Order: sequence, then C-alpha cells, then structure tokens
Amino acid sequence: MARMKFLCDAERCIECNGCVTACKQENDIPWGVNRRRVVTINDGVPGERSISVACMHCSDAPCAAVCPVDCFYRSEEGVVLHDKDLCIGCGYCFYACPFGAPQFPQAGAFGVRGKMDKCTFCAGGPEKDNSEAEFRKYGRNRLAEGKLPACAEMCSTKALLAGDGDTISEIYRQRVTVRGKGSEVWGWGTAYGRPEAPKGAPGAPGAAPAAPTGGKS
Amino acid sequence: MLLTRKSDSAPSTAPRLKRLAGARLSTMDRRTFLKRSGVAAGAGAFASQLPYGAIAPAQAQKEGVKVEKKRTVCTHCSVGCAVDATVENGVWTRQEPVFESPINLGAHCAKGASVREHGIIEHSHRLKTPMKLVNGKWQKIGWDQAINEVGDKILAIKKDSGPDAIYWVGSSKHNNEQAYLMRKFVSFFGTNNCDHQARICHSTTVAGVANTWGYGAMTNSYNDMQNTKCALYIGSNAAEAHPVSMLHMLHAKENGAKMIVVDPRFTRTAAKADEFVRIRSGTDIPFLFGLLYHIFKNGWEDPQYINDRVYGMDKVKADVMAKWNPAAVEEVCGVPEAQMAKVAEMMAKSKPSTIVWCMGQTQHTIGNAMVRASCILQLALGNIGVPGGGANIFRGHDNVQGATDVGPNPDSLPGYYGLSTGAWKFFAGVWGVDYEWIKKQYAEGMMEKPGTTVSRWIDAVMYPNDTIDQGPNVRAMVYWGHAPNSQTRGKDMVEAMKKLDLMVVIDPYPSATAAMCAMVRKDGVYLLPAATQFETSGSVTASNRSIQWREKVIEPLFESKPDHTLMVRFADKFGFKNELVKNFEMTKDKDGWDEPTPESILKEINRCTWTIGYTGQSPERLKLHMQNMSTFDVKTLRARGGPCDGDYFGLPWPCYGNAALKHPGSPNLYQTSRHVMDGGGCFRANFGVERDGVSLLAADGSYPKGSDLTMGYPEFDHVLMKKLGWWDELTEDEKKVAEGKNWKTDTSGGIIRVAMKNHGCHPFGNAKARAVVWNFPDAVPQHREPLYSPRPDMVAKYPTHDDKKTFWRLPTQYKSIQDKNVADKVAEKFPLVLTSGRLVEYEGGGDETRSNPWLAELQPENFIEINPKDANDRRIQDGEYVWVQSPTGAQISVKSLVTERVAPGTTFIPFHFAGWWMGKDMLEYYPEGAAPITRGEAVNTATTYGYDSVTMMQETKTTLCQVAKKA
Amino acid sequence: MIARITHLCVIACGAMAALMLAGCGERPQVIEYKQGKYQGKPDEPPYAAAPFNGDQAKWDRDIRNRTQNQNEYKRIGS
Repeated sequence: MARMKFLCDAERCIECNGCVTACKQENDIPWGVNRRRVVTINDGVPGERSISVACMHCSDAPCAAVCPVDCFYRSEEGVVLHDKDLCIGCGYCFYACPFGAPQFPQAGAFGVRGKMDKCTFCAGGPEKDNSEAEFRKYGRNRLAEGKLPACAEMCSTKALLAGDGDTISEIYRQRVTVRGKGSEVWGWGTAYGRPEAPKGAPGAPGAAPAAPTGGKS
Repeated sequence: MLLTRKSDSAPSTAPRLKRLAGARLSTMDRRTFLKRSGVAAGAGAFASQLPYGAIAPAQAQKEGVKVEKKRTVCTHCSVGCAVDATVENGVWTRQEPVFESPINLGAHCAKGASVREHGIIEHSHRLKTPMKLVNGKWQKIGWDQAINEVGDKILAIKKDSGPDAIYWVGSSKHNNEQAYLMRKFVSFFGTNNCDHQARICHSTTVAGVANTWGYGAMTNSYNDMQNTKCALYIGSNAAEAHPVSMLHMLHAKENGAKMIVVDPRFTRTAAKADEFVRIRSGTDIPFLFGLLYHIFKNGWEDPQYINDRVYGMDKVKADVMAKWNPAAVEEVCGVPEAQMAKVAEMMAKSKPSTIVWCMGQTQHTIGNAMVRASCILQLALGNIGVPGGGANIFRGHDNVQGATDVGPNPDSLPGYYGLSTGAWKFFAGVWGVDYEWIKKQYAEGMMEKPGTTVSRWIDAVMYPNDTIDQGPNVRAMVYWGHAPNSQTRGKDMVEAMKKLDLMVVIDPYPSATAAMCAMVRKDGVYLLPAATQFETSGSVTASNRSIQWREKVIEPLFESKPDHTLMVRFADKFGFKNELVKNFEMTKDKDGWDEPTPESILKEINRCTWTIGYTGQSPERLKLHMQNMSTFDVKTLRARGGPCDGDYFGLPWPCYGNAALKHPGSPNLYQTSRHVMDGGGCFRANFGVERDGVSLLAADGSYPKGSDLTMGYPEFDHVLMKKLGWWDELTEDEKKVAEGKNWKTDTSGGIIRVAMKNHGCHPFGNAKARAVVWNFPDAVPQHREPLYSPRPDMVAKYPTHDDKKTFWRLPTQYKSIQDKNVADKVAEKFPLVLTSGRLVEYEGGGDETRSNPWLAELQPENFIEINPKDANDRRIQDGEYVWVQSPTGAQISVKSLVTERVAPGTTFIPFHFAGWWMGKDMLEYYPEGAAPITRGEAVNTATTYGYDSVTMMQETKTTLCQVAKKA
Repeated sequence: MIARITHLCVIACGAMAALMLAGCGERPQVIEYKQGKYQGKPDEPPYAAAPFNGDQAKWDRDIRNRTQNQNEYKRIGS
C-alpha cells in the first residue's frame, strides 16, 4: 500500500525554482497562488540552505482538523485533498498549517478570499479523474496516470523526491550513506537542539565539523 | 483553474447551503427543488459506478483528438535538456520530462519546467504581427508591406553607401541550420558586418582556447564532470546559469569530489562548495598564477605531460615565479597565502581535476588572457585530454555553440575557415556559386576583412567616418534574435538608435530594442515576428558539443515565420534567392511561403565543415539518437547496444568524416588514451612546426592510442599523404577530389578516412599546446587592471593596453580611458565595483522569459545586491529603491537588496531586465499587448566602455558605480 | 373567569401563532455538523480509471518503478 510523501534533500537543492514553475505549468496556476515555494535560510552566507516546501500531506492534518465545513479528506495513499465546492474560504486551514500550504487567490475589491487552493500531490480532487472539471478546479491528476508530481519529476538536481515513502527514503538513505554524514539532519538534535548525541559525534554541540578528508559531503 | 469566477459550477455560500439543506429537510421551495434534481443528475454523472464507456462531455472531445508526442530541447541554456511535448490537435497541452535523456535525466530548472508557455496563445506577450513605428506609435502592417518596405530601404542604403552600411546581428538562439544560413545570407548580401551573442559571452574563450590547443570549445562535458575528483569554478555561477549541470556535479561531490568556487560573490553555487574563495572582480590571472606558483614550488606539476604536449611552460613558469608570489597575489586579488596554497593542493592532489569558467573570466579587457591562464593551469597539471579533467567551459544560450561553429561570425565563414581567398573559394564550391559573383557582392577590398562586432555597433554608427575602417558608417541595424540590453553603454546606444536610418527587429518578442527606439524616435523602425525554436525543427549544439535534433512542436503562432523562411524571403527581395537555396530541398509552408527543410540545410553543413567535424552528424543519425536516448550511458555518453551502439550521444563534434565513416563523435577532446576512431585525439598542429628552435609538434611517444605514427606530425594534406605512402589508399574518386587539397578542403573525406580509420592518425596533426601565444597582445598572460578600476595604485602597477588605432574596423581605447579615470579620480566618486550576472528564472536580455508569467512572478523587480556596510554608509535600508549612478552620467533606479553575498565595495545587478529607462517605465513604448510582464532597469544602461584586446568582448564584469539613496 | 380563560387562550394562541409564524420558511443557519467527517463529493482512487482499471497492485508497482526516475544512482551507479 503506497503512502505518498515528499522529501527535499537540502544538500542538493540549489533554489532553482524548477519545482515551483513545474507546478505552475502543470496545474495552470494563476498569478498570486504559490502551491510550492522554495525557502532559503542563511541567504548569501556560508551555511546557505534551501528547501522546497508545499503541502506535506500530514497523517493528522491540522487543516482537516480545523475546517468548519469539513471539506478535507485523506486518500488511501495518504494524499490530503479537499473539495472546493464546499470550501467557504474562511482561512482557518491557513492559520493551522505549519507549512503555509493553503493558498488564497485575492478576489474582489475588498481582498475577499476565494476558494482555498493547495498542493494536491498532483492527485487532482473530488471530480472524475482526468476530467475537464478536475483540471479546472484542482489541476492535473498525474497519480491517476501512473505518474508522480511534476515538481519532483522535474527537479533540476533531484533534490525534491516524491512518491511512496518507502521508496523515496531508500533513495535518500543511499545518498546519505554515500555522503558519509547527514543522517542526523532530520533528527531530534537538529529539530529541537537537544544535545542527544554523545560528545564528539556529529551533531553534538562543540563537536568538530565533519572532517574534509575522504572528501565526502 | 480559475478560482474566482462566480460563473464556476462551484456555487457560492448561500445557494450551497440551500442545496444541502434542501436535501435533508422537508421544507421545499421551487429553487431547492430544482437544485435537488440538478444535484442528483450531477452526482449520477460523476459517480464512479458508471461503466468506462460513458464519459463526461469534456472527455468525449478527446476521442476525436489527434494526440502527438514531439521531442524537443529547451531553448534557454546550453545544457540542452530534452522535453517531450504533448500536442493535441496542434495545440501544445502538456510537457513531460524526458527521463531517458543522458544529459539531463528528466531534470529541469525553472525555465525548462515552464517552456510550455511558448505554446499558449491567450494573453501571449509575443510579437504577433509585423509592425511599423509611425509617428511614435506602433502600427500593425502586413507581411508583404513589411518585406517590401524593409527590403527597399535596405537596398536603397546599400546602393547609396555600400553593403557595409547595414549591420546584421544574428542569433545564438537560431538553430544550426538558421545560423549557418545567416552566414551564407550576409555573405551573398555582401558584408561581413554580422555577429551574434557569442561576442559578448565566450568570444574570448574561443580565441584564447583555440590559440592554445586547437579548438575553442568545452573540452569535456557536463556528464564527464561525474568523473572528476576536484572542480574549480571560477567566474561561473552554475547553480543559476546552468542548474541542471549541478545534478552531475552534486552527484560527483556526493561520491567524493571536491568543489571550489572562486567568485567576488558568495553565489548559490558557492553555497554548495567545499571551499569558497572571494576574489576582487577582474583579478583572475593573479589568482590562477598564484595557484601555479604553489604548484611549481611544490613540484606538483606533471613534467612528463608538459614535456610531451606543452610548448613554452618554462617561460610561463619563469614569469609566474618572478611575479606571482603570495604577497603580490594577496595585494591584487585579496586572497591570503594559506587559502591559495590550500586550493592549489586540492587541485593538484585530487586528480583528475577540472576547471569551469563562464562570464566571470571572459567579460574583461583581458578576457583572452584570463582564459589562457586557466588553460595553462590545466596543462601544468596534465588535466587536458583526461576524463574528469579538462577545461569545462559552460556556454550560455541554447545554441551559442552551434552559432559560433557555423553561424554569423564577422571574422570567419562557417567552421572557423576564416575569410582568406582559399576559404572563400572553398565555400563558393560548396555553395555551388561562382567565387567572382560573391566577390562582386562585396565592396572593394572588404571581402576578406573581418566585420565589426555587435559590442561596438553603436560606434560604427556614431564615430566620425574618417576614423572607422570601412567606407560608410553603419546606417541600418537588423537585430535578428538578439537583445540590446545585454550590451554595455546603453546611454550611448539610444543615441546611435536615434541616428540610424533604419532599425529592423526580427524576434518572437518586440524586445527592448522596440521600446528603446520608440522612446527616442518617431519612425524608421520595423518589428517582424519570428517563430521560436518550438515552431520549427532543426539541430542545436549543446555546450559539450553534442548535437540534438528538435522536432517541430507546433506551427508558428500568430503571424510569425521561422527565421530560415524569412531569410529566403529577404533573399528573394534582394535578388539572390536562387543562390541561397541552391542545394536545399524546398517546401511550401501553410501560407505558401518557400521554406527550405532543416534536414537539407544540415546536409549542406555536413558537406563543408570538415575543420570541426560537423560532417558526420547527419539528420538521420541525430534523429536516431533522439529516439534511443535511454541506450546511452550517463557517465561516458556512449551507447551500449541498441541502434546507436558505439556512438557518443549527439555525436559531439568533431565527428570526423562523412556519415558513412560512422565516427562516434568526441566526448572528451585531446584524449590520447583513446583511438581517434573511438573519440580520441591530441592537440592541434595549427601554429607551425617549430618556434625559436623548439619543436611545436608533440614529443615522441605522445600520440592517440593505436596510431601508426608515434610522434608529433603536422596536419594532413595530399603532400603528407603521398610522403607517407598512404595516398593510394584513397579510392579513385576520392583521389580526384583530394588532389591538391588538405583535410579541411577535401570534400571527398578521403584524406580523413585513410588517416583516421586506416592508420589511427589525427587529421589535424599531433602537436603541443601553446602556453605562450606569441600572436596575442601578451604572449604570457599578464594581469592588467580594468579600465574602471577601483584601485588606482594597482593601475599604476598593472596598467592596461595601449590604445589601438584600428581594431575590428574601429579605433579602440584602453590606456587613454584608464589614465583619464585615474586623473579624474573616478574611483573616489564611484567607489563601488558594479558587476552583473544571471538569475535562474531569466535568460539573456530577458524579454522572452519575463513574458512568461510563471517565471516573471518569481523575480518581479530588478535589484542591486549591496553589502550591509555600504548600505549603512549611505543610510540605505533593505527593499528601498535607490539610484545607481555611473561615471557615464547615467543613473538607474533599482531596489536595494542588502546582503552579505557581496563583500563591502562590490555590488551586483542582474542583467536580464529591461523596460525602464532611468527611473521611468517604458511600457508605453512597447507595442500594445507585447510588453514583458515584469520590467526593470537594464544594468547596461549604466555600464561603461571597455573591450577585450583580441575579440572586442565587452568589460561587463568590472565597472564602477555609486549608489545613492533617493531623496 | 371566562374572560381570563379567553385571555389566556388569546395569549396562548398568540404565542403559538408567533411560534408557528417563526417556524414558517425558516432555514437552519448551519449545516448539520458531523465533526471530522468529510462532507464533500466522493473521489475515486488513482487506479480506478484507465489505464489501471481498478488494479491497485499494478498501480503500486508502476508508481514504485517510476519513482526511480528521481534516483540518478539507478542510471549512473556511483
């Protein structure tokens, strides 16, 4: 049973915005709506890293939890989708989402929000697969064609991975192994700054940076 | 996917509530009743229980739709990412990544992922019809009127002043066939005043590198970088200019390769580097020779390689050891000794190591010397002709390599044959026209004289006639696929635009040329809509010399025409159509215009470009490669099995001999560890046999694998063939053609065939590379300060060249300008170095990519990167608009981006913007509906005079500016 | 007394009339809220239509295969 996930390898991401325009192009997204964005930290200084962010298709999605009209659902593959016909544009999901995935096109003279739009993992929405209606409302349904999201398939350095969680974590694990470091990137130490690793190991505060000999990075 | 239209079937709040309410409650009104029955019907239509055959109305249309898949190549940079376009009933509806491509494996950057926009008709910002500037306003005209008026005006100027009064700027975005046809076209028109983007991009590379070892192109490939152990990027921001190349580099890095980035800015490429070196803009030679100092000092050079294959390294060594000790290096470029030693050790000890450079090295007054310094470094380390090594020169536009090879160069016919009488006679033969007839087209004595360059066209217009080295001043410009805002001295350019009799723009977009002209003139400007590369087929040469074939995706949109069709149409107007199309297969396009097939043009290229081996890449072989991409190995680019077995992908030139010889192409140049029929090679014997008593030919024992001749030898001609006793291996037919010829002019290919296939020898000889290029201004590369240098003390120590009285037909200043700048204390009034470069979202002059909404949204405004210290000194805050002032008196208004990316004293502005002029939006000067979505100041409005001493490349990378807060 | 009953009746009738009038044509202001349960249109799984026609296993296999296009190691090795 496939469980769809995104994973962006920050060591590879060069902030080329290929994922951003691939999404725009594939789903015909209007100006002002950014389903996918690249976020850069430490811009312009050593330590600069970028990561591509869109909807994370959470297992326990906060957007779904707070929606007053319950327009969200999770498909069997773990993709979080919503019904635009139900959406009232209240914006609660936007407040709830830690990734800023929900997007609202500006409409009307008073900036009234339109229907919420977000990354669909290129899985369309609750309309007939690959129909005109589905494309107009939700964008392309690549999953129904046996393809994967356009952003990941077109990533310039194959930093952004999308697909079944097991498969992409295998791909990422291989890279990490080859690099010789980096598995702690997604760990608790990085997320919470907890000095869990023993002194001297990579990731621990005060540890020497990974030695350049052997040259793997 | 229009979310805001109320007419969508998605109802707004109240009716929706009513509908759902109506479904549950017994209360019923007529509206609810109707809605309920509507819902029921709708639900039925979308229920998944329906059998497959019953499809919704939208789907039903698809049944009768003709769906095709067309394979093409992105048109935005020289990496050459393949794209599969889905076309339904002639409309481009989808694009898919081509995972099979060995070059990009399906990857794209922002531009490649959005090329489908070129097929969108609604809200297109394309130039849709021919237009004429009438009394300051753009008027739509028909094609016939356009061709006739433009043609008549050009003919009148030609009659009055001679053919050199018209300047034809061709394009690096033309495919090979169009670029080649352009060179033929201007030759028949009678002028060498033609050029294209390579001038302002890698012209110094081509000259410097070709004069070092034979060919001036990327020696290895993007793919081959996976074999490297250490890559030095100097003046290259690959992460933004060649993003997909980073796929190969980062893969290599993951597997142990080191990456060093040398740049005045901490670029996005530097963010991935193991070692970042910040140098002062323009000081590449001290840096590179500073590395050599450590290499020589520690004995890290490759003495065998130098002895066998390099001439003059001893002279270079003497110069380096005398001049570029660590103290001198630090003084000039700012890099401390420790870092220099570290980088030198990385390059020397992690071999094979490669060097990558782009505009950072080329766009200087000493660009030709800088690129040679890079070559010398690699020669010293023995890295040339080695997989994983090489001089990896990343070219810019998608077909700048092809246009340089076979296109409109002012100083050469296609294939770098030059302009000598012999070259002209050779091409007259190939083109099937009388040499004397071509000669008559030219003004007296101008046929063998290189034209002037696109970087200086404004001076060819403006300078007093007695100072220029051609009869008339230039009176008419034809901008055929080139932008104006990528050339320096925008302020002077509008003056030249005022003075012209005629300006013609042939482009898919009006380009900034249209707006600049409309801003300063009332008439005399024509815009002709050209088709993009997606609206025609043809071949394109990537930076690694692989040639890919593009299929035509869609018919030309609106009223546009492919460039080669327009060339034929103008040739007809000018009276040389029959000569132009003599050998081509002609068809009629949908409007009945004559169009030569790209295949037949490529076949003519195959018959004449023996020098660089564009002869084996027949259309059939190329198309076969495009259909069988998955059979090619990614690291070696070689096909294993399949219909292309043994070929290298795209038959990278040189692919010697005719198609029947089945040469596989040359993925890495000068590689002696391979047989010449296996893609191997050696350095070219192009500079003579001996110099100062030292042989210029390769030493004994240095030769391509399997060669019958195991020492150095000159290039092959009929004399050498006879001397070696190999002449009789030619067939009788070949002998007839090859008699009296050399390998470059033997159109039978017999000399090449016998030398290569029978004896494993290289037709262009086996020689040493030259570390000392005696025909250049500085035989050993010397550092010279830029004309607008921030360091008068360095100017005193390292002054620039002397002025030249006539250089590419124009007087060219060096010392007089530099001295005046020092005397006028320009560096004090304009203390910040202004450099420019690329953004990943845009390409070149930018009007095309800034017309794509998906790209334009990502970079809506032009900006200047300024260090916090400099910003604070001027009380400038991040995000506020500022004036950037130039010593020319120009000033431009850009948004400030305060960042540590640039060091104090350096600023950076991207060069892709145009459409603002010194603070004013030029929207009104564009034809209606054809202005780019985002507009901004062109950095080149504020750039200054400065030209390379060999190729007239513009000095864009180092000039001076002052930044001022807006009052 | 009759007057009082009548008075009460009138009040009761008035109240009932008011209630009934209030009930006429009134629509609830909110939809019936079932917390956490999706209220929208049904959606079909990605393998429902052609080319998979309900074959989930085939879709899974195809997707897993296709994911390897994002892994250049598969084609390059190291």
